[in-house]
Amino acid sequence: MARFRSELCRPAEHVSRRGFLSAAAAGATAAGFAQDMTVLDVLKNPSLAAEIKKQQKHVILLWLAGGASQLETWDPKPGRPTGGPFLPISTNVPGIQISELLPKMAGRMQDTAIIRSLSTGIGDHGGGASLMETGRRKEPGLQHPDLGAIIARELGRADSQVPDYVSFYASTEGRRKGTSGYLGARYAPMFLSDSMIPQNIRRLESLSDIDHRERADLRDLLARRFARGRHSRNNVLGSHTSAYQRVRGIMASEELFSIDNEPAAVRAKYGPTQFAEQCLIARRMVEAGVPFVKVARAWWDSHGQNFETHQELCADLDHSMSVLLDDLEQRGLLENTLVITLAEFGRTPKINGSLGRDHFANAWSTSLTGCGIKGGTVYGKTDADGQNVAEGKIGAGELFATIFKALGIDYEKEYLVGSRPIPISDFGVHPIDAVLT
Amino acid sequence: MRSCRSILVSFLVSFLATLPFALPVTLLVVGSVPVAAAELLPADRPINEAIDHYLQLGWVEAKVKPSPQVSGAGLIRRMTLDLAGRIPTVGETRAFVDSSSPTRWTGLADRLLESPDFAYHHRNQLDLLLLATKKSDGEFRKYLLTAARENRSWDVLFRQMMTGREENSDEKPALAFLKARAGSLDDLTNDTSVLFFGVNVSCAKCHDHPLVDDWTQDHFYGMALFFTRTYLTKKNTLAEKPTGGIKFKTTSGEEKQARFMFLTGTEVSEPKVELSAEQRKAMAAEVKRQMKDAKAPVAKVPGFSPRAKLVELALGADDRRFFSRAIVNRIWLRLMGRGIVDPPDQLHSANPPSHPDLLDWLARDLATRGYDLKRLIRGIVLSDSYAISSRHVGEGEVPGAETFAVGSVRVLTPRQYALSLLVATSNPDRVSLEAVSGGWAKRREQLEGEAGGLAGKIELPGDNFQVSVDEALLFSNNDQLQASLLKDSADRLVGSLKSIGDRRRLIDRAFEATLSRSPDTDEVVEFEVFLTKREKAGRLSAIRQMVWALLTSPELRFNY
Repeated sequence: MARFRSELCRPAEHVSRRGFLSAAAAGATAAGFAQDMTVLDVLKNPSLAAEIKKQQKHVILLWLAGGASQLETWDPKPGRPTGGPFLPISTNVPGIQISELLPKMAGRMQDTAIIRSLSTGIGDHGGGASLMETGRRKEPGLQHPDLGAIIARELGRADSQVPDYVSFYASTEGRRKGTSGYLGARYAPMFLSDSMIPQNIRRLESLSDIDHRERADLRDLLARRFARGRHSRNNVLGSHTSAYQRVRGIMASEELFSIDNEPAAVRAKYGPTQFAEQCLIARRMVEAGVPFVKVARAWWDSHGQNFETHQELCADLDHSMSVLLDDLEQRGLLENTLVITLAEFGRTPKINGSLGRDHFANAWSTSLTGCGIKGGTVYGKTDADGQNVAEGKIGAGELFATIFKALGIDYEKEYLVGSRPIPISDFGVHPIDAVLT
Repeated sequence: MRSCRSILVSFLVSFLATLPFALPVTLLVVGSVPVAAAELLPADRPINEAIDHYLQLGWVEAKVKPSPQVSGAGLIRRMTLDLAGRIPTVGETRAFVDSSSPTRWTGLADRLLESPDFAYHHRNQLDLLLLATKKSDGEFRKYLLTAARENRSWDVLFRQMMTGREENSDEKPALAFLKARAGSLDDLTNDTSVLFFGVNVSCAKCHDHPLVDDWTQDHFYGMALFFTRTYLTKKNTLAEKPTGGIKFKTTSGEEKQARFMFLTGTEVSEPKVELSAEQRKAMAAEVKRQMKDAKAPVAKVPGFSPRAKLVELALGADDRRFFSRAIVNRIWLRLMGRGIVDPPDQLHSANPPSHPDLLDWLARDLATRGYDLKRLIRGIVLSDSYAISSRHVGEGEVPGAETFAVGSVRVLTPRQYALSLLVATSNPDRVSLEAVSGGWAKRREQLEGEAGGLAGKIELPGDNFQVSVDEALLFSNNDQLQASLLKDSADRLVGSLKSIGDRRRLIDRAFEATLSRSPDTDEVVEFEVFLTKREKAGRLSAIRQMVWALLTSPELRFNY
């Protein structure tokens, strides 16, 4: 049963999914659920159900681990002492220029919005990553979920046969696993580190498929008997049951992790780099209904040799991202898939003695493409040398609110943690409507 | 509930509670009865009686009917999980179920509380509460184990964690609580408030608490001031600077100097000491040296220690209500599945307890009986209320969790689950023999070690905990786990079942070892069908898959 944020329904605020589902299952007809009951009826109609599935929204986060330079990507400063050796190039959107290191992206800016005015204030890797992953500063006694976990919770389906949140990490990324914080492990990422195939997803060879299935059925029988007349807080008992019910589906999704079944022509387009292959897997995931995929590319932390580093990494980003966007578009997925480039921070305009750029959180850039985004736009402006934000200064909170709104998620929604309401975007922030459709 | 304070009413209700529940409760309109201050049940009543008394009052008032008592097998499973941290062995279950002794319940509680199991389990629970989510070197766990074995009282533990002396080897490991948080004043302040006083003050850092009149920024910074001088030396010892304050800005922009203030509003003033500029400089230099120089002499304890002052205040007769209520509530939550105050870090006027008098009674009892947690735990597990079935029977709405009229369904901690799986997958004859013989202490220690590895693969349940699909995948497809849980050897369950020829006896045995009960008739039928069908592909494999289904069923995953 899907929970939708599409135009077909409005979210039933302050009614939890589980509450809704169990009430629905019990055939409750309380007035408060009427709206959702109509959704249930909608699902009985197969053509509408297919339509809803098509409208399932997704996010692919391209995480530029270590901190990519805004000057060598989205916010070049030609002719300034801070500008570096590379030139800006014009894009297919009149008036927008980006670094010449991204020539392919320059040819397909019609779906992308650039934000050049992030000012986030945390300049160490751990702190910066935590801020940009969760959209808010750390707080004692409360572990906030990251973007993937929130999206998994908001866009995922309770009985989903595919993972809700998949995170690919590159070996040099600094071992950040992501966290579902107070949302709990139900929304934690399926995390791929050593291999491209997730852990424990494959049936043991020593066990036949029929044994695997029938013992699960026997287990299910015990579970149903046990659950009769029993209620648990937060329906943790139900979560145990649904975790086991999802096993076979998740196992069947193993093939999503393999690009062997992709036509040679598609594989050739993406090319052989690990990042590109992971982007291709991300596309396969999105196509299969996974709400959130993070693909990390490392290591952009160019304290020395900034320009060589960016020459190499930008080429990979430029190619992989533009192929991914083309592929999504051709499959009709781009309008419901938001592709984000983000990092823990940007890099200093000042070029240091090792021809490097250091950590810089004062004025840097991000890009948003696809779902809900007004393409071909630039929001915010830095000053001549890129030292400060001149216009449209925003923080991580505003960016998150923008992402939520682009996906049709109520950015002012609150989660109840204990008795404390926690808004999913940071307190008092608003989305940037200028980049939204 | 909250208005039921007079003895007269209590008496009346106790009397009525003995009658059938259909009795018209309109008799019990008590709103107009004048409320006398603190008319609690007498202090000399046994804990279990006080609990049953107050919960019954609540049932009458809420017009709910409690579920019936759990079966004997259900009770020993619940109690063994709560007191020993594992499921009972087949031998333990049978002995209890077969006993007709009128004191078997008390006897079981006392046996478990005195068994080596209790100290391990109580230690594990305290560790989960205090430090398990932080990095630590394991010394704290040893410290807690010693303390649990001695039944060291809660106020002593608190005092040692706050003000233990580095040079005292008994007390030193207790400081790990603060050391793990020394890098963040917010963590020191908030974790201490949450864990020892049941109060999350973090909301009041940036503004006066939006929901609770009790907490203002003065309280947050007043509490923080007790910790602001605390620091770690280069030698990783805990020290306090001789001076130091906090300035903060109120939401209206006013700059304020924090004053030492406890949650109750009680303030302490620091004795004024005139210091010359040179003295101040020398002090600052000394602190700097302590932080940088591993060879610096032992840091001096300042004449005025804010942390010692905090302990004194928190345990003082006027202000100890936070300290005693917080731990009573935590222990209650551990055993009953929900706090009398829920959530347990919101002990304040805007979030009243479900049973205020019970909380007060238990807190008074604890504070006046030397903060003896074992005594409190014993009292709770001997109450009739503890032994209520977790299954709601009959028509009608399920009573709210805050009435405690239906037993709770609680997910096991990773350690409880791992230990239970180890016990369940042992050869029932052998493990039963050990558990009643003198060799158990050693075996239990081994089990504790063995359980650590598996427990580490299972997520610690926090707020809003949900079992993740990763756990289900781990149990479904992980080769090491299958190999160990379903091992075919004489000392293990699968090996012992293999030698049972009679299918019904085999099924019976498998249920007893894993679910601590006999199968129902229709379960026997279903399992026979399964075995008959699966045996075609090999008998051993059929037994293995049957055991797998039992081990992964929610009945083993939860305490119910």
